[in-house]
Amino acid sequence: MNIKLNSREPVYIQVIRYFKEQIAKGVFEPGQEISSRRELANKLKINPNTAQRAYKEMEEQGLIFTEGNLPSRITKNEMIIKQVREELILEAVSTFIVAVQSINVPLEEAINLVKKKYEENPNEQEGNR
Amino acid sequence: MKNYLKLTNFELSRFFKLYVVLIGLTLVMQTVGIIWMSNTYMGSVEGLLLEGNTAELIKMNLGTFSFSTLTTSLLFSGPIIICIASLLIYVFLIWYRDWFGKNTFVYRLFMLPTARMNLFFAKATSIFLMVLGLVSLQLVFILIESQIAKLIVPTTYMESQNLNQIINGFDYMRVLYPTTLIEFLINYGIGFMAVFVIFTGILFERSFRLKGILFGILFAGISLFVFISPILLQVTILEGFFYPVELFILMVITGLIVIAGSVWISNYLLNKKIRV
Amino acid sequence: MIEVKDITKRFGRKKILNGVSFTANKGEITCLIGINGVGKTTILNAIMNLTPINRGEILIDGEKIRKESYERITFIPDAITMLPSMKISDAMQFMADFYQSWNQKRADEMIEFFKLDKNDRLSTLSKGNSAKVNMLLGLALDVDYLLMDEPFSGIDIFSREQIADVFTSHLVENRSVIITTHEISDIEHLIDKAVLLNDGVVLREFNAEEVRENEGKSIIDVMREVYQP
Repeated sequence: MNIKLNSREPVYIQVIRYFKEQIAKGVFEPGQEISSRRELANKLKINPNTAQRAYKEMEEQGLIFTEGNLPSRITKNEMIIKQVREELILEAVSTFIVAVQSINVPLEEAINLVKKKYEENPNEQEGNR
Repeated sequence: MKNYLKLTNFELSRFFKLYVVLIGLTLVMQTVGIIWMSNTYMGSVEGLLLEGNTAELIKMNLGTFSFSTLTTSLLFSGPIIICIASLLIYVFLIWYRDWFGKNTFVYRLFMLPTARMNLFFAKATSIFLMVLGLVSLQLVFILIESQIAKLIVPTTYMESQNLNQIINGFDYMRVLYPTTLIEFLINYGIGFMAVFVIFTGILFERSFRLKGILFGILFAGISLFVFISPILLQVTILEGFFYPVELFILMVITGLIVIAGSVWISNYLLNKKIRV
Repeated sequence: MIEVKDITKRFGRKKILNGVSFTANKGEITCLIGINGVGKTTILNAIMNLTPINRGEILIDGEKIRKESYERITFIPDAITMLPSMKISDAMQFMADFYQSWNQKRADEMIEFFKLDKNDRLSTLSKGNSAKVNMLLGLALDVDYLLMDEPFSGIDIFSREQIADVFTSHLVENRSVIITTHEISDIEHLIDKAVLLNDGVVLREFNAEEVRENEGKSIIDVMREVYQP
């Protein structure tokens, strides 16, 4: 578990994004047990209260769930997982578009380049190195 | 109470090494002294015997060997003076050492979940016990040393002296070895009171630093004045109005007032004014 | 909650603290930040009643400090406060003798965690190990409040990492911490609240996550604004 924290963005949001990425990539599988808040804080070197807050938000968003006193797990809800994936793709695409538009690249050219580069880099597709 | 005992034990153990050195020094110097002096004496005796003098004559001219020969020599009183000086210095050091160095132990002591006055009492008790310990060991040493003398000097030339006579033959020792309970209470009571007053003075200094030295000296002066005020009254205004017993009782009372004042002020300083 | 209310502290004519107020909430890590010599240590000393204050009031869960409080709040100064002649085990025994809140199991666990040898004498410890023993002696007390003075200063990077690990471990769980530092980058993501001090006054007191969320600023950004306007 490695995450480079940006010191200008709320840490809890960065933690949630990290989880979303892992879920979208399939590194965190549906129903998989996740670290406790304490363990997470320790691994990421973040404030335990912040880890707690991230978990609380994720619970509210349905990304994770907790049954009784058992450790929290990644959601099994396909809809939510799909949503997360779409959200991340959309985010990445928007960032890409903004970048490309700012240097006036026509859509056609951009798409061709994306295709070419994407195929040159096949091992990236799985997302989990 | 439990913490007070633990602290006292701790304070004693902190001084233990130096204490053992002091005891060792005393024993060694005094033993060397008695052996050397007995041998010197016997050397003279043997010389005179060789010249054909009788024992009776020698005793008349040279005198018998008295233990006082030792007690009046520097080899005997030297270590005692060193012990007294060390303890006097330690009355100050027992506080100041806690502030010394990078690892100031006083932080720990003041953060103990116990009344800070326990530190005060533990330190005072330690001083008291260390004085009593040295005083009683000295008695044992005198017994040992007189036995050594007896081994070297034949009984004929020995002046027979019991412990009481040895002590009485030695001026300042009488203060340390009172013969009655009352005398003991007075001598050691005054000593204890003095330690309390000095401790309070030290706490003044530790609380207010430079200005505190002034307060400390002032406090000591007032304490002394209060304590001897009955005597002052007796010799000035009242001109011998009190009987000795009354004077004694009054001084017990003023002494207790000084001790109470010292405890009260120390408690205040330790809780409200002291700094690390 | 620790409430520091308008405290003033003079050394001679010099005012070290001039009306300092802040609160350290329960279960949070509060960080007192100052570029240098701005009375951070004095504040911690004052909270522990190790130095008298000239004005103001300090409350711990609404009460003034009493001797019993030392079982609930402890202070880890920037050097070990034990006798240099002691072995680590002696120092631990001393703590065990006097504190009911001493947790021997946790102390032993930390000896393992920090890879220390109980038979080492305090005077022979490296700076890093000395800092670890210092931490251990405070952290092994089951107290609600922990005050730490510059736990990261003057020690090697690996010791720093190990000590930083402590903050996210169960050793600090459910405890409130007040920590002072002049070097925030080590613990930027570890703290809840920052209190910026200068010339004996609090310039700003803020929750780090809130500032990131509402203003998009890092702690260092805020420090830059406050100290170099």
